[in-house]
Amino acid sequence: MSRSLQRLRLLPRNICVAILVSYRAVISPLYGDVCRYYPSCSSYTLQAIQQHGVVRGIWLGARRILRCHPWAAGGVDDIPEPHPRLATTRAGFVLAHKEQ
Amino acid sequence: MDIFALLMWPIKWVIEAILVGFHTLVTALGGDPGSGLTWVLSIVGLVLVIRSAMIPLTVRQIVSSRKSLEIQPEIQRIQKKYKGKKDQFSREAMQRETMEAYRKAGTNPFASCLPLLIQMPIFLGLVQVLTDANNRMPGVGLLTERLATLFSESTLFGVVPLHMTMADGFAEGSLPVIGVAILLTLIMVVTQFYTQLQIMTKNQTPAMKESPMYKQQRILLYIIPVFLLVSAWLFPLGTMFYWLVSNIYTLVQQLIIINKLPTPGSEAALAREARLARKRQRMGLPPIDEATAAEEPSVELKTQRQQPRAKRPKSRRED
Repeated sequence: MSRSLQRLRLLPRNICVAILVSYRAVISPLYGDVCRYYPSCSSYTLQAIQQHGVVRGIWLGARRILRCHPWAAGGVDDIPEPHPRLATTRAGFVLAHKEQ
Repeated sequence: MDIFALLMWPIKWVIEAILVGFHTLVTALGGDPGSGLTWVLSIVGLVLVIRSAMIPLTVRQIVSSRKSLEIQPEIQRIQKKYKGKKDQFSREAMQRETMEAYRKAGTNPFASCLPLLIQMPIFLGLVQVLTDANNRMPGVGLLTERLATLFSESTLFGVVPLHMTMADGFAEGSLPVIGVAILLTLIMVVTQFYTQLQIMTKNQTPAMKESPMYKQQRILLYIIPVFLLVSAWLFPLGTMFYWLVSNIYTLVQQLIIINKLPTPGSEAALAREARLARKRQRMGLPPIDEATAAEEPSVELKTQRQQPRAKRPKSRRED
Protein backbone atom coordinates (compact mmCIF):
# COMPACT_ATOMS: atom_id res chain seq x y z
CA MET A 1 0.00 0.00 0.00
CA SER A 2 2.62 2.52 1.07
CA ARG A 3 4.71 1.35 -1.82
CA SER A 4 2.09 2.30 -4.41
CA LEU A 5 1.51 5.56 -2.55
CA GLN A 6 5.22 6.22 -2.80
CA ARG A 7 5.07 5.49 -6.54
CA LEU A 8 2.17 7.91 -6.90
CA ARG A 9 4.14 10.56 -5.02
CA LEU A 10 7.05 10.08 -7.41
CA LEU A 11 4.85 10.06 -10.51
CA PRO A 12 5.25 13.79 -11.33
CA ARG A 13 9.03 13.62 -11.24
CA ASN A 14 9.05 10.43 -13.27
CA ILE A 15 6.93 12.14 -15.94
CA CYS A 16 9.49 14.96 -16.03
CA VAL A 17 12.29 12.39 -16.16
CA ALA A 18 10.61 10.75 -19.17
CA ILE A 19 10.44 14.11 -20.98
CA LEU A 20 14.05 14.93 -20.20
CA VAL A 21 15.33 11.48 -21.15
CA SER A 22 13.61 11.69 -24.52
CA TYR A 23 14.96 15.22 -25.02
CA ARG A 24 18.46 13.95 -24.27
CA ALA A 25 18.05 11.04 -26.67
CA VAL A 26 16.44 12.83 -29.59
CA ILE A 27 16.93 16.60 -29.60
CA SER A 28 20.11 17.12 -27.62
CA PRO A 29 22.41 15.25 -30.06
CA LEU A 30 21.33 17.65 -32.81
CA TYR A 31 23.30 20.41 -31.12
CA GLY A 32 26.37 18.39 -30.20
CA ASP A 33 28.31 19.28 -27.05
CA VAL A 34 27.41 22.84 -26.19
CA CYS A 35 27.23 23.05 -22.41
CA ARG A 36 29.97 24.89 -20.59
CA TYR A 37 29.50 22.87 -17.42
CA TYR A 38 29.83 19.32 -16.23
CA PRO A 39 27.28 17.76 -15.88
CA SER A 40 25.52 19.38 -18.84
CA CYS A 41 22.42 21.49 -18.23
CA SER A 42 19.98 18.72 -19.17
CA SER A 43 21.83 16.14 -17.08
CA TYR A 44 21.91 18.58 -14.16
CA THR A 45 18.18 19.23 -14.45
CA LEU A 46 17.49 15.51 -14.71
CA GLN A 47 19.44 14.81 -11.52
CA ALA A 48 17.90 17.81 -9.77
CA ILE A 49 14.37 16.61 -10.55
CA GLN A 50 15.24 13.04 -9.54
CA GLN A 51 16.69 14.08 -6.21
CA HIS A 52 14.85 17.29 -5.30
CA GLY A 53 11.44 16.81 -6.91
CA VAL A 54 9.68 18.57 -9.76
CA VAL A 55 9.30 22.10 -8.39
CA ARG A 56 12.75 22.52 -6.86
CA GLY A 57 14.31 20.52 -9.70
CA ILE A 58 12.86 22.76 -12.40
CA TRP A 59 13.84 25.83 -10.37
CA LEU A 60 17.43 24.56 -10.03
CA GLY A 61 17.55 23.59 -13.70
CA ALA A 62 16.21 26.96 -14.87
CA ARG A 63 18.79 28.78 -12.78
CA ARG A 64 21.52 26.56 -14.17
CA ILE A 65 20.47 27.30 -17.77
CA LEU A 66 20.53 31.02 -16.98
CA ARG A 67 24.07 30.48 -15.69
CA CYS A 68 25.10 28.72 -18.90
CA HIS A 69 25.68 31.80 -21.07
CA PRO A 70 28.66 32.64 -23.29
CA TRP A 71 30.28 34.76 -20.59
CA ALA A 72 30.19 32.05 -17.94
CA ALA A 73 33.44 30.38 -16.93
CA GLY A 74 31.90 26.91 -16.89
CA GLY A 75 33.54 24.05 -15.00
CA VAL A 76 32.20 21.37 -12.73
CA ASP A 77 28.84 22.22 -11.19
CA ASP A 78 26.95 19.46 -9.42
CA ILE A 79 23.44 19.62 -7.99
CA PRO A 80 23.15 20.59 -4.33
CA GLU A 81 23.06 17.53 -2.10
CA PRO A 82 19.47 16.79 -1.09
CA HIS A 83 19.35 16.69 2.68
CA PRO A 84 17.30 13.85 4.12
CA ARG A 85 14.51 14.88 6.45
CA LEU A 86 14.99 14.58 10.17
CA ALA A 87 12.50 12.49 12.08
CA THR A 88 10.07 14.27 14.38
CA THR A 89 7.98 13.14 17.31
CA ARG A 90 4.20 13.29 17.29
CA ALA A 91 4.33 16.60 19.16
CA GLY A 92 6.67 18.02 16.54
CA PHE A 93 10.03 17.86 18.31
CA VAL A 94 12.98 17.08 16.09
CA LEU A 95 14.83 13.85 16.73
CA ALA A 96 18.49 13.23 16.15
CA HIS A 97 18.07 10.62 13.44
CA LYS A 98 16.86 10.63 9.87
CA GLU A 99 13.26 9.99 8.92
CA GLN A 100 12.70 6.35 8.06
CA MET B 1 -1.51 27.64 -18.61
CA ASP B 2 -1.88 31.31 -17.67
CA ILE B 3 1.69 31.52 -16.40
CA PHE B 4 2.75 30.19 -19.77
CA ALA B 5 0.78 32.90 -21.59
CA LEU B 6 2.32 35.52 -19.32
CA LEU B 7 5.81 34.24 -20.14
CA MET B 8 5.09 34.24 -23.86
CA TRP B 9 3.57 37.73 -23.83
CA PRO B 10 6.80 39.77 -24.18
CA ILE B 11 8.17 37.38 -26.81
CA LYS B 12 4.98 37.62 -28.85
CA TRP B 13 4.94 41.41 -28.47
CA VAL B 14 8.46 41.73 -29.89
CA ILE B 15 7.73 39.29 -32.73
CA GLU B 16 4.60 41.24 -33.67
CA ALA B 17 6.45 44.55 -33.52
CA ILE B 18 9.19 43.29 -35.86
CA LEU B 19 6.69 41.65 -38.23
CA VAL B 20 4.47 44.72 -38.42
CA GLY B 21 7.53 46.96 -38.78
CA PHE B 22 8.76 45.02 -41.78
CA HIS B 23 5.24 44.81 -43.19
CA THR B 24 4.97 48.60 -43.02
CA LEU B 25 8.43 48.94 -44.59
CA VAL B 26 7.68 46.58 -47.49
CA THR B 27 4.31 48.26 -48.07
CA ALA B 28 6.00 51.68 -48.06
CA LEU B 29 8.44 50.39 -50.67
CA GLY B 30 5.53 49.56 -52.93
CA GLY B 31 4.50 46.07 -51.83
CA ASP B 32 0.86 45.07 -51.81
CA PRO B 33 -0.14 44.96 -48.10
CA GLY B 34 -2.38 41.98 -48.71
CA SER B 35 -0.04 39.85 -50.80
CA GLY B 36 1.65 36.75 -49.47
CA LEU B 37 5.01 37.92 -50.74
CA THR B 38 4.91 40.97 -48.46
CA TRP B 39 4.25 38.72 -45.47
CA VAL B 40 7.00 36.29 -46.50
CA LEU B 41 9.42 39.21 -46.74
CA SER B 42 8.31 40.35 -43.29
CA ILE B 43 9.06 36.88 -41.96
CA VAL B 44 12.48 36.97 -43.64
CA GLY B 45 13.08 40.32 -41.93
CA LEU B 46 12.11 38.77 -38.61
CA VAL B 47 14.68 36.00 -39.07
CA LEU B 48 17.40 38.47 -40.02
CA VAL B 49 16.71 40.64 -36.96
CA ILE B 50 16.58 37.74 -34.51
CA ARG B 51 19.63 35.95 -35.87
CA SER B 52 21.66 39.14 -36.17
CA ALA B 53 20.87 39.93 -32.55
CA MET B 54 22.59 36.65 -31.72
CA ILE B 55 25.80 37.37 -33.64
CA PRO B 56 27.58 38.76 -30.55
CA LEU B 57 26.89 35.46 -28.80
CA THR B 58 28.32 33.47 -31.70
CA VAL B 59 31.39 35.65 -32.00
CA ARG B 60 31.99 35.50 -28.27
CA GLN B 61 31.86 31.73 -28.45
CA ILE B 62 34.31 31.49 -31.32
CA VAL B 63 36.76 33.87 -29.65
CA SER B 64 36.73 31.85 -26.48
CA SER B 65 37.18 28.62 -28.40
CA ARG B 66 40.26 30.12 -30.06
CA LYS B 67 41.58 31.10 -26.66
CA SER B 68 41.15 27.57 -25.46
CA LEU B 69 43.94 26.60 -27.86
CA GLU B 70 46.35 27.86 -25.25
CA ILE B 71 45.48 25.14 -22.82
CA GLN B 72 45.57 22.36 -25.41
CA PRO B 73 48.65 20.78 -23.79
CA GLU B 74 46.74 20.48 -20.54
CA ILE B 75 43.74 18.98 -22.32
CA GLN B 76 45.94 16.55 -24.20
CA ARG B 77 47.55 15.52 -20.93
CA ILE B 78 44.10 14.67 -19.56
CA GLN B 79 43.14 12.82 -22.73
CA LYS B 80 46.34 10.80 -22.58
CA LYS B 81 45.68 9.93 -18.98
CA TYR B 82 42.32 8.41 -19.90
CA LYS B 83 43.33 7.01 -23.24
CA GLY B 84 41.66 3.73 -24.04
CA LYS B 85 39.44 3.85 -20.98
CA LYS B 86 35.93 3.76 -22.33
CA ASP B 87 33.94 2.83 -19.25
CA GLN B 88 31.41 5.31 -17.96
CA PHE B 89 33.29 6.28 -14.82
CA SER B 90 36.54 7.07 -16.57
CA ARG B 91 34.74 9.15 -19.18
CA GLU B 92 32.92 11.03 -16.46
CA ALA B 93 36.12 11.67 -14.55
CA MET B 94 37.80 12.81 -17.77
CA GLN B 95 35.00 15.24 -18.57
CA ARG B 96 35.12 16.60 -15.05
CA GLU B 97 38.84 17.21 -15.26
CA THR B 98 38.57 18.75 -18.73
CA MET B 99 35.84 21.17 -17.68
CA GLU B 100 37.73 22.11 -14.55
CA ALA B 101 40.84 22.78 -16.66
CA TYR B 102 38.85 25.09 -18.94
CA ARG B 103 37.40 26.93 -15.97
CA LYS B 104 40.83 27.43 -14.42
CA ALA B 105 42.23 28.75 -17.69
CA GLY B 106 39.29 31.14 -18.01
CA THR B 107 38.37 29.88 -21.49
CA ASN B 108 35.69 27.52 -22.66
CA PRO B 109 35.23 26.13 -26.17
CA PHE B 110 31.56 25.34 -25.71
CA ALA B 111 28.72 27.51 -26.93
CA SER B 112 26.57 27.40 -23.75
CA CYS B 113 22.94 26.38 -23.54
CA LEU B 114 21.05 29.63 -23.06
CA PRO B 115 21.19 30.93 -26.67
CA LEU B 116 19.87 27.59 -27.96
CA LEU B 117 17.02 27.57 -25.51
CA ILE B 118 16.05 31.15 -26.25
CA GLN B 119 15.30 30.18 -29.85
CA MET B 120 12.66 27.62 -28.90
CA PRO B 121 10.16 30.05 -27.29
CA ILE B 122 10.77 32.44 -30.19
CA PHE B 123 9.64 29.81 -32.67
CA LEU B 124 6.72 28.89 -30.43
CA GLY B 125 5.79 32.56 -30.13
CA LEU B 126 5.83 32.91 -33.90
CA VAL B 127 3.54 29.89 -34.31
CA GLN B 128 1.12 31.43 -31.81
CA VAL B 129 1.24 34.87 -33.44
CA LEU B 130 0.56 33.41 -36.88
CA THR B 131 -2.20 31.13 -35.61
CA ASP B 132 -3.93 34.08 -33.90
CA ALA B 133 -3.58 36.25 -37.00
CA ASN B 134 -4.93 33.40 -39.04
CA ASN B 135 -8.08 33.35 -36.90
CA ARG B 136 -8.37 37.12 -37.41
CA MET B 137 -7.72 37.73 -33.74
CA PRO B 138 -5.74 40.85 -32.78
CA GLY B 139 -2.35 40.01 -31.27
CA VAL B 140 -0.96 41.19 -27.95
CA GLY B 141 0.55 44.35 -29.38
CA LEU B 142 0.94 46.01 -32.75
CA LEU B 143 -0.73 43.30 -34.82
CA THR B 144 -4.20 44.79 -35.06
CA GLU B 145 -7.34 43.04 -36.21
CA ARG B 146 -7.06 44.78 -39.57
CA LEU B 147 -3.52 43.42 -40.12
CA ALA B 148 -4.57 39.98 -38.86
CA THR B 149 -7.37 39.91 -41.43
CA LEU B 150 -4.90 40.97 -44.12
CA PHE B 151 -2.62 38.11 -43.13
CA SER B 152 -5.33 35.50 -43.01
CA GLU B 153 -6.47 36.49 -46.50
CA SER B 154 -2.99 36.77 -48.00
CA THR B 155 -1.89 34.25 -50.60
CA LEU B 156 1.40 33.62 -52.30
CA PHE B 157 1.07 34.12 -56.07
CA GLY B 158 -2.70 34.21 -55.56
CA VAL B 159 -3.02 30.46 -55.00
CA VAL B 160 -1.04 29.50 -51.88
CA PRO B 161 -2.56 30.81 -48.63
CA LEU B 162 0.21 31.23 -46.03
CA HIS B 163 -1.91 30.01 -43.15
CA MET B 164 -2.40 26.53 -44.61
CA THR B 165 -0.49 23.46 -43.53
CA MET B 166 0.40 20.53 -45.74
CA ALA B 167 -2.46 18.66 -44.10
CA ASP B 168 -4.87 21.46 -45.16
CA GLY B 169 -3.48 21.22 -48.66
CA PHE B 170 -4.33 17.55 -48.85
CA ALA B 171 -7.71 18.08 -47.20
CA GLU B 172 -8.70 20.68 -49.79
CA GLY B 173 -6.92 18.96 -52.64
CA SER B 174 -4.98 22.14 -53.41
CA LEU B 175 -2.02 21.12 -55.55
CA PRO B 176 -0.11 24.44 -55.27
CA VAL B 177 -0.20 24.26 -51.45
CA ILE B 178 1.00 20.65 -51.46
CA GLY B 179 3.68 21.50 -54.00
CA VAL B 180 5.02 24.51 -52.08
CA ALA B 181 4.94 22.58 -48.78
CA ILE B 182 6.90 19.69 -50.30
CA LEU B 183 9.37 22.05 -51.96
CA LEU B 184 9.96 23.90 -48.67
CA THR B 185 10.44 20.61 -46.84
CA LEU B 186 12.94 19.41 -49.43
CA ILE B 187 14.99 22.60 -49.22
CA MET B 188 14.90 22.41 -45.43
CA VAL B 189 16.00 18.78 -45.41
CA VAL B 190 18.88 19.53 -47.75
CA THR B 191 20.11 22.61 -45.84
CA GLN B 192 19.76 20.95 -42.45
CA PHE B 193 21.48 17.78 -43.63
CA TYR B 194 24.31 19.72 -45.26
CA THR B 195 24.89 21.97 -42.22
CA GLN B 196 24.94 19.04 -39.85
CA LEU B 197 27.24 17.07 -42.11
CA GLN B 198 29.62 20.01 -42.38
CA ILE B 199 29.79 20.42 -38.61
CA MET B 200 30.22 16.72 -38.00
CA THR B 201 32.77 15.83 -40.62
CA LYS B 202 34.83 18.98 -40.68
CA ASN B 203 34.52 20.98 -37.50
CA GLN B 204 35.01 18.34 -34.83
CA THR B 205 38.24 17.18 -33.28
CA PRO B 206 39.13 13.47 -33.25
CA ALA B 207 38.45 13.48 -29.51
CA MET B 208 34.92 14.78 -30.11
CA LYS B 209 34.40 12.08 -32.72
CA GLU B 210 35.23 9.45 -30.12
CA SER B 211 32.46 10.48 -27.76
CA PRO B 212 29.22 8.48 -27.72
CA MET B 213 27.38 11.71 -28.57
CA TYR B 214 28.92 11.58 -32.03
CA LYS B 215 27.35 8.23 -32.90
CA GLN B 216 23.96 9.53 -31.83
CA GLN B 217 24.50 12.58 -34.02
CA ARG B 218 25.20 10.33 -36.97
CA ILE B 219 21.99 8.38 -36.51
CA LEU B 220 19.99 11.56 -36.09
CA LEU B 221 21.31 12.89 -39.35
CA TYR B 222 18.96 10.45 -41.01
CA ILE B 223 16.02 11.00 -38.68
CA ILE B 224 15.90 14.80 -39.13
CA PRO B 225 14.17 14.62 -42.56
CA VAL B 226 11.33 12.62 -41.03
CA PHE B 227 10.95 15.24 -38.29
CA LEU B 228 10.83 18.02 -40.83
CA LEU B 229 8.20 16.22 -42.88
CA VAL B 230 6.00 15.82 -39.80
CA SER B 231 6.41 19.50 -38.90
CA ALA B 232 5.58 20.53 -42.46
CA TRP B 233 2.41 18.51 -42.07
CA LEU B 234 1.50 20.31 -38.84
CA PHE B 235 2.75 23.91 -39.12
CA PRO B 236 1.39 26.63 -41.44
CA LEU B 237 3.50 27.61 -44.45
CA GLY B 238 4.26 30.97 -42.81
CA THR B 239 6.19 29.30 -39.99
CA MET B 240 7.93 27.03 -42.46
CA PHE B 241 9.30 30.09 -44.23
CA TYR B 242 10.69 31.27 -40.91
CA TRP B 243 12.34 27.92 -40.37
CA LEU B 244 13.70 27.75 -43.88
CA VAL B 245 15.30 31.20 -43.83
CA SER B 246 16.69 30.47 -40.38
CA ASN B 247 18.22 27.24 -41.71
CA ILE B 248 19.86 29.01 -44.61
CA TYR B 249 21.20 31.65 -42.23
CA THR B 250 22.73 28.93 -40.05
CA LEU B 251 24.24 27.23 -43.09
CA VAL B 252 25.94 30.39 -44.33
CA GLN B 253 27.15 31.25 -40.84
CA GLN B 254 28.51 27.75 -40.37
CA LEU B 255 30.36 27.83 -43.70
CA ILE B 256 31.97 31.12 -42.71
CA ILE B 257 32.96 29.70 -39.33
CA ILE B 258 34.40 26.53 -40.85
CA ASN B 259 36.41 28.59 -43.32
CA LYS B 260 37.63 31.36 -41.07
CA LEU B 261 37.45 30.18 -37.49
CA PRO B 262 37.44 26.37 -37.38
CA THR B 263 37.53 24.41 -34.13
CA PRO B 264 41.18 24.01 -33.18
CA GLY B 265 42.38 20.48 -33.92
CA SER B 266 39.58 19.65 -36.35
CA GLU B 267 39.90 18.70 -39.99
CA ALA B 268 38.72 22.16 -41.01
CA ALA B 269 41.50 23.75 -38.95
CA LEU B 270 44.12 21.58 -40.69
CA ALA B 271 42.64 22.49 -44.07
CA ARG B 272 42.80 26.17 -43.15
CA GLU B 273 46.45 25.89 -42.09
CA ALA B 274 47.26 24.13 -45.36
CA ARG B 275 45.46 26.89 -47.28
CA LEU B 276 47.39 29.61 -45.46
CA ALA B 277 50.68 27.77 -46.01
CA ARG B 278 49.99 27.50 -49.76
CA LYS B 279 49.18 31.19 -49.82
CA ARG B 280 52.47 32.03 -48.13
CA GLN B 281 54.29 29.88 -50.67
CA ARG B 282 52.59 31.61 -53.58
CA MET B 283 53.57 34.97 -52.19
CA GLY B 284 57.15 33.80 -51.89
CA LEU B 285 57.32 34.01 -48.14
CA PRO B 286 59.23 31.43 -46.14
CA PRO B 287 57.02 28.87 -44.42
CA ILE B 288 56.23 29.52 -40.80
CA ASP B 289 59.27 28.48 -38.80
CA GLU B 290 59.04 24.93 -37.58
CA ALA B 291 60.63 25.94 -34.31
CA THR B 292 57.84 28.37 -33.46
CA ALA B 293 55.26 25.68 -33.82
CA ALA B 294 56.46 24.27 -30.55
CA GLU B 295 56.48 20.54 -30.46
CA GLU B 296 54.19 18.91 -28.01
CA PRO B 297 56.20 17.85 -25.01
CA SER B 298 55.38 14.21 -24.65
CA VAL B 299 54.06 13.76 -21.18
CA GLU B 300 55.48 10.81 -19.35
CA LEU B 301 52.72 9.47 -17.21
CA LYS B 302 53.52 7.27 -14.31
CA THR B 303 50.51 5.16 -13.77
CA GLN B 304 52.38 2.74 -11.62
CA ARG B 305 54.74 3.37 -8.79
CA GLN B 306 58.33 2.31 -9.36
CA GLN B 307 58.69 -0.88 -7.38
CA PRO B 308 61.58 -0.82 -4.90
CA ARG B 309 64.18 -3.46 -5.48
CA ALA B 310 65.47 -5.61 -2.71
CA LYS B 311 69.21 -5.45 -2.10
CA ARG B 312 70.89 -8.49 -3.38
CA PRO B 313 72.86 -10.52 -0.94
CA LYS B 314 76.60 -9.83 -1.14
CA SER B 315 77.31 -13.27 -2.53
CA ARG B 316 75.19 -12.60 -5.65
CA ARG B 317 76.31 -9.05 -6.39
CA GLU B 318 78.06 -8.73 -9.68
CA ASP B 319 80.78 -6.28 -8.76
